[in-house]
Amino acid sequence: MNNEQLQIFLDSHGADPARWPDAHRAAAERLIARDAQARAIFAQAQRLDALLTRTHDAGAEDAAAAARVLARLAALPRQKRPFWHWPLVLLDWQFAPAWPRVAALAGCAAIGFMVGIAGLDRTFDRLDAQSVVASRDIGSMFEPEAFTGSRP
Amino acid sequence: MDDSDEALMARVARGDQPAFRVLARRHGPAMVRLARRILGNTADAEDVAQEAMLRVWTHAPRWQPLAAFKTWLTRVVVNLCLDRKRRAPWVELEAAGEIADSAPVASELAETDERERLLQAAIAELPDRQRTAIVLTYSEGMSNAQVADILDASVSAVETLLVRGKQNLRRALGGIIDEGD
Repeated sequence: MNNEQLQIFLDSHGADPARWPDAHRAAAERLIARDAQARAIFAQAQRLDALLTRTHDAGAEDAAAAARVLARLAALPRQKRPFWHWPLVLLDWQFAPAWPRVAALAGCAAIGFMVGIAGLDRTFDRLDAQSVVASRDIGSMFEPEAFTGSRP
Repeated sequence: MDDSDEALMARVARGDQPAFRVLARRHGPAMVRLARRILGNTADAEDVAQEAMLRVWTHAPRWQPLAAFKTWLTRVVVNLCLDRKRRAPWVELEAAGEIADSAPVASELAETDERERLLQAAIAELPDRQRTAIVLTYSEGMSNAQVADILDASVSAVETLLVRGKQNLRRALGGIIDEGD
């Protein structure tokens, strides 16, 4: 490592040896120990780091600014829900709030009822047979068999 | 009750406004500070912090805890700051006048000493990503790897930003660095 490389190394990793990567630490320390120019570079890097670390601290000002921002957010907008939100709500074990699950359950029941009475659960090959059965007198379904006399 | 950031975010995701306000109070000042250091003035920093808080609220249901909440929030603030700087009208360096006059924070730093005022002005003059890398490293105490994660860049790219940023600072500050404490 030469002085130019040391400068780049210190700019990349800072002047705190605790933050230096192990792979280059020994070489940097050796150079600083034996070369006066390297020590000057190191000292200047330490001063620059100290300046940068000790920049204007406006803790109270920032807290006041954050409080102003929070006050502006008194009314929050609607949250953006992912499309898989509603199925997950149904699986939420905490059951709070309950109305989406109740509404979904009622909706499923209503859809099931409608599908059932509309006959949408029948397959195509059974549609004709079903319509024939539906057209007959429903009471004939319970009449005894013509040959055996047994009842269904 | 678990009041970690991640637990609070889970509550915010269910529309819990008090949990959101706890999170906002906890991280608000740090958000403003980071934005102020990148943008150079408190008014813009407040706008960015407000937008960041709104994103916390609106995006909470879709937030995945792949990274720590603070890392995610820092990334949001940094991206909002860089977007704002990108949208801001460009002012030529010559038109901006002397460093002391062009610093947007000059009035706010009137009570600080001259050397710090010049340092702030020099930092304000840095290109956006160089300034952001410097701020994240020295004001937020992040490692190069953490800065790379926030800036969505490689570690070597961050090192390049730091090297160029410090070269620019040395040029701008000259002997001020060597004046000692």
